[in-house]
Amino acid sequence: MNEQLSKDGFTKRRTDRVAVFGWLVIGLFALFAVFAGFLAPYDHSAQSRFEPSAPATTIHFSGLTPIIYLRRVEDPLRRTYTEDTSVAFPVGLFVRGYSYKLLGIAETDVHLFGVKSTSGIAPRINLLGTDQLGRDRFSRLLYAVRFSLIVALLGVLVACVVGISIGGVSGYAGRLVDTFLMGVTDAMLALPTLILILGVRAAFPLELPMTRAAVLLLLIFALTGWAEMARLTRGLVLSLRRREFVVAAVALGVSQTRVLFRHILPNILPSLRTRALLLLPTFLLAEVALSYLGVGLQEPEPSLGNMLTAASDLDQLRMQPFSILSPALAVFLFTLGVRLIDRSERA
Amino acid sequence: MINLLLRKCLQGLMMVLIVSAVTFALLSFAGGDALTELRDNPQISKVAIERLRGVYGLDQPLPVRYFRWLSGAVTGDLGESTYFRVPVSGLVWARSLSTFLLGTAAFAIALTFAVPLSLVGVRYKSTTIAAFIDLLILLTASTPRIVLALVALAISVQLTASATDMSSAVLFWLAALALSAPLISAFLAQFYGELQRTMREDFIKLARAKGLSESAVILRHAVRPALNPVLTIAGLSFGGVLGGSVIVESVLGRQGLGTLMVSAVRARDLPLVMGIVLFTSTAVWLGNAIGELLQAVNDKRIRDLGL
Repeated sequence: MNEQLSKDGFTKRRTDRVAVFGWLVIGLFALFAVFAGFLAPYDHSAQSRFEPSAPATTIHFSGLTPIIYLRRVEDPLRRTYTEDTSVAFPVGLFVRGYSYKLLGIAETDVHLFGVKSTSGIAPRINLLGTDQLGRDRFSRLLYAVRFSLIVALLGVLVACVVGISIGGVSGYAGRLVDTFLMGVTDAMLALPTLILILGVRAAFPLELPMTRAAVLLLLIFALTGWAEMARLTRGLVLSLRRREFVVAAVALGVSQTRVLFRHILPNILPSLRTRALLLLPTFLLAEVALSYLGVGLQEPEPSLGNMLTAASDLDQLRMQPFSILSPALAVFLFTLGVRLIDRSERA
Repeated sequence: MINLLLRKCLQGLMMVLIVSAVTFALLSFAGGDALTELRDNPQISKVAIERLRGVYGLDQPLPVRYFRWLSGAVTGDLGESTYFRVPVSGLVWARSLSTFLLGTAAFAIALTFAVPLSLVGVRYKSTTIAAFIDLLILLTASTPRIVLALVALAISVQLTASATDMSSAVLFWLAALALSAPLISAFLAQFYGELQRTMREDFIKLARAKGLSESAVILRHAVRPALNPVLTIAGLSFGGVLGGSVIVESVLGRQGLGTLMVSAVRARDLPLVMGIVLFTSTAVWLGNAIGELLQAVNDKRIRDLGL
């Protein structure tokens, strides 16, 4: 990006600002995913039996300190709550809570924010309310971003490896191989991907443990997503293989694989990177769709898709549309961020 | 022209064959079928299950089963759904009508956005309109169908006391709108971009030099050549619309091909899954072919090349 800025900074300034915003959004998502344990005040599957389907906690201020009150169920059927204002619980930063592993190594129990109270009856602060089991939706959202992004990211990696290999071979090998491989690729590209994904998914048991479901999703993404990458790679390889430096390398007696990997691949990587970035929201959405339909990542682990299944409870959707659709907002922002980056790279 | 038709038919046949074979093989290799759950039931003996496997032809080797399925499929017999207990072909036909209507509405919405906006944008060359088109392309491209469908659902429950009160016509158009968002961005980007490129061509300068009004230049000379990429994209987006209908129909509770696919997957109803995969891949090929044929009809240059 810095290269682009210096090349023709004047005409590109506006699009670059847009790209910076895109990178900012993506960076924020990456931060959420990495530091989910630190940012989330509660464990993603810790239930609070007394607060099912509660709306977001109202934060009051006493002076400058934010405080919250204990909530009691008023009407268990309509799930309405009243606040008990007799005791105030202050909210603070760097509060001790459940323990987790920071960056996957350091065990700690410090969280960015939380309720500062040691008493057992202290209320929980739910920025986005709770779900039917009384789990904190904000904490679940953070972990969902982590799980969904990991699956999408690994899916992109696998699809890239498969797609670039097939595309590279197709562009570099003879005509017969090329015709066959590209025929298959075109057929893949024209297919209704989601229906194909569902079809492949039908081959496996409905209920799967988290890791196996994630691996299965990865494989399905790779199986259905490589074609776009292959098509692009093949076109780029074809355009490069007649260039002087490649011909020179071949004339020097460099082996074919070495020409492909050392001379051609480094030159086409930037274009491939942009396309790979665009695959990320595609796979994220595929995960959301599959989990929403109940055949992707499953409870109790949160994912952006399975959190959205709460929207099928229409009463809840009417009462707290924002909290319930917050995972959808996250998906939208992520897609927008990637699109902004892609747009300024193409401009 | 005939050449083109033949080539497209051959391509389609190949594609449908490959896809159905791969799906069939995958479904069989993964093990597990509609009888898997029966096996866990202690009250059903192994003998009975073996007999059932014989009835459904599941004891035959894979190629035999595939060719048996294929020869049935050619004559329109896709077998019986193991979950719904009715012939697959009838079920798929009945459900596909609703999805077809929804998809057509989505295409219509996308065209009513894309065509007039592009024409106005090219005619008046105002930076405001250009910026608006740019923004619309960006927003529709980055709003996933599932997000739009959920927002549509949220709006509809806000407006009415219960979701069932919502008139089905309103829900239908909300669903079509959610389905059309990516189409709007694709059509608008292609048509507007291509119109702008066409307006720089020499024959446009000639038309202007003849003294034609700018509107006449655009409508009579620029639109037809600029339509080609839109037709390609329209043909190619059949697959996306069919895939998107799975989501939109599930979220908004419409009975269509998409929801049928979801129930088939959940029930592991393999004949039904195969039937839908066959039907959708044929539909996608058909859309593709129609897109290219319309291009040939629209543009004599393509016809003459015999592409």
